[in-house]
Amino acid sequence: MSNNNTRSHRAHKVIERMGKKLNRQMVGSLVACVHCGMCTDSCHYVLTNPGDPTYAPAYKADQIRKFFKRHYDWTGRVLPWWVKARSLYTDEDLEQLKDTVFGKCTNCRRCTVNCPMGVDYPTVNRMARGLLVSVGIMPEGVAVVSKDQWEIGNQMGVLKEDYLETLEWLSEELEGELEDPAAVIPIDKMDADVVYSINPREVKYDPRTISDAAKIFYSAGENWTMPSEGWDMTNFGLFSGDDDLGGAVARRLYDKVEELRGKKLVISECGHGYRSTRCEGQNWGKVDVGFEMESSVVTMLRYIKEGKIKVDKSRNTQPVTFHDSCNNARSCGMTEEPRELLSLVTTDFREMYPNRAENYCCTGGGGAMSMSEYTPRRLKSAKVKADQLAATGATVVVTSCHNCVDGLGDLIKHYKLNMQVTQLVNLVANALVVEKKLAVAVPVMPTEAAAPLAGVTILVADDEPDFVTFASTVLEDNGATVLKAYNGNEAFAIAHSGKPDLITLDISMPGKSGTEVFEELRNDPALKAIPVCIITGKPELRKLIYERAVLPPEGYIDKPASEEALLLNVRRILDHVHHRTSA
Amino acid sequence: MSELLHFAEHRLQEAALVVMAIVYVSRLYWLTRFPAGKERQAPTGLGDTNSRKGFIYSWGNVAMPWAMESSRMKPFLYGQFVLFHLGVVAAIALSFVIPYAPGLLDSSLLVTVFRVTILAALLVGVARIIRRASDVYMRKISTPDDYFSLLLLTVWFFFAFLSVPNKSDAGEWHLLTYFVLTAFFLIYVPFSKISHYLYYPFTRYYLGKSLGRRGVFPLRRMRHPEAERS
Ligand code: SF4
Ligand code: SF4
Repeated sequence: MSNNNTRSHRAHKVIERMGKKLNRQMVGSLVACVHCGMCTDSCHYVLTNPGDPTYAPAYKADQIRKFFKRHYDWTGRVLPWWVKARSLYTDEDLEQLKDTVFGKCTNCRRCTVNCPMGVDYPTVNRMARGLLVSVGIMPEGVAVVSKDQWEIGNQMGVLKEDYLETLEWLSEELEGELEDPAAVIPIDKMDADVVYSINPREVKYDPRTISDAAKIFYSAGENWTMPSEGWDMTNFGLFSGDDDLGGAVARRLYDKVEELRGKKLVISECGHGYRSTRCEGQNWGKVDVGFEMESSVVTMLRYIKEGKIKVDKSRNTQPVTFHDSCNNARSCGMTEEPRELLSLVTTDFREMYPNRAENYCCTGGGGAMSMSEYTPRRLKSAKVKADQLAATGATVVVTSCHNCVDGLGDLIKHYKLNMQVTQLVNLVANALVVEKKLAVAVPVMPTEAAAPLAGVTILVADDEPDFVTFASTVLEDNGATVLKAYNGNEAFAIAHSGKPDLITLDISMPGKSGTEVFEELRNDPALKAIPVCIITGKPELRKLIYERAVLPPEGYIDKPASEEALLLNVRRILDHVHHRTSA
Repeated sequence: MSELLHFAEHRLQEAALVVMAIVYVSRLYWLTRFPAGKERQAPTGLGDTNSRKGFIYSWGNVAMPWAMESSRMKPFLYGQFVLFHLGVVAAIALSFVIPYAPGLLDSSLLVTVFRVTILAALLVGVARIIRRASDVYMRKISTPDDYFSLLLLTVWFFFAFLSVPNKSDAGEWHLLTYFVLTAFFLIYVPFSKISHYLYYPFTRYYLGKSLGRRGVFPLRRMRHPEAERS
């Protein structure tokens, strides 16, 4: 190694650690590129930035290749200029590398399947991310989420009590809906046939996916459970390139299943979670597990095929298309099962082109949703996906990945597409025929059920009049008294005068932003106890989750919000707060 | 035949081949010193494929232009690839035919096959130089080695084309240049991008093995007639 005296400490460490990280496959990918350019057009960044070669997969790979060659490959050592080999010297060099490996690639692997030489650039890119992370150079979001996963045990910092309370609340709802005391979400049940693991996003933003899955397990008569700890099947190690984190997170989940003596680990619909838990975790953690692992897509399909559940596809008649998550399709080979399942629970399926392992990334993959500094770049690159979606003519895009739900939701809003994103679990639950238990005549609903929000005052703060009208109508129809505010100052004033039981707060508002209002509410002794549900159309603004100068909000809803999501979240928060105060 | 040409056709080639073999072996040794990444997980996918099918498919990929979007959508570039590599095979074969089996070139058919193949590769070489120098993406990713290797091969094709009939009535300079270039080529290859053919089976084996186990290779896709045309 040369020039150690003029090299920054971090640059020195990156070069040194590269030697320990390299394996045969990575070295193959680093030496085999012939710069033929065949992969160029396969990348969504290239297609949306015509004329800018710095997005070309081979160019991006060269940013890693050049210091590999300078230090580990003979031609680069002897004649560096001949092969454009160059070492890393300064922290500025590392920052530039960060911009490439985190900000210009979602590790989607589309270039890999299009390279005649079999160069797997995303694997090398992930390795480079890991090197930078090891010296503390990474986007802020990556640092925060990794920290949460190391310290709290899940990547959204969901506290154990919040997780358990949410499950308890969902369990009660389920029991009420199905009118069966046996319809519950079992926690830490020993010797279950299925241990169900989820993405923390489901607890935070989308509890309906948990209750839908619970309904399906119940209907199938499954002997199942959810773990009280080690329940997060996502793994930020995949995105950050940190194999130690990847291994630790995966082991946490495996250990819990083993502790519960579970027979099978079922992984809810999440591309990176499935890949990390099912396909990579054992390699990172250097462990072998003694139980089976399966995607919930396969589980649901099996239930239908085995006659354990019955579905009525006529309940899902909207035109739907399917988006293959890169991790599912290009790294785990799961492309046919979701389509088979869709054909059983929907009536109007329209294929997207290209599809399966040739599909384009949702553009929010590789951890991009947590790197807000690259959002404009991400949304620009999403044009490819937006065009793909629009060409299907579908009004619903289904995906088996929570990350894709966010990525697609964001681009749908940005490109003003008339589409909704959903998951298979929602469609299966909607098509589910729950014999007898649901077929009983709908009882006269008690007053509370008919107007579940009766007596509750909710402040809806949003600068979009359409959203205020929508939310007020939904909440008032369910018995709530609604106060309305159209900017931050107004929201704060009305919160003071009206003392609502809950505030739904838009983050982006003129004047005082939702973030400022939120912090002021939390710092005001008279208002700090009012639960707040953050509503945003920009998922990256969820930085509020991470910036914990004040207590985090009680809930989050993504825009566009459905009536169901709004009600479900509002009721969950109120129920949660009620439990907290009565405990 | 002059002594110099005889030397260039025989001793020089043999020495160059020995050097190339030694460098190649040491290169392979270097590669295998890196630990192979392990896949501990149970196979994924539908179960109709496996690691073996995966790497066989992966190796065969080069002959299946329909299998990869990049070659499917750019048939012209794929055609160039085929012609260029056929030319390489022909020019290498010629370097053995001339010194060891010159009688074969009595066949006018074989001479024509050699000439057409090598000429086509020569034209592709020129087209590739133009593409590499003019396309903004290609320029950005190209190194001096990329340009030099391509230029070297194209010039080599030119002299191979001239050498095909193995005639020295008008002088030996073309044959001499061809054999000197061949020797240089043999020695230079392991240090240059041209050594990719050493890596090709290697990278595609590991990629295919992994993606076969994961149920990704052979790739599945549903064709869209319009999308394919555009
Ligand atoms: S297709 Fe493969 S060999 Fe060609 S430039 Fe891209 S990565 Fe390199
Ligand atoms: S992995 Fe995906 S985003 Fe990254 S360079 Fe390849 S095609 Fe582009």
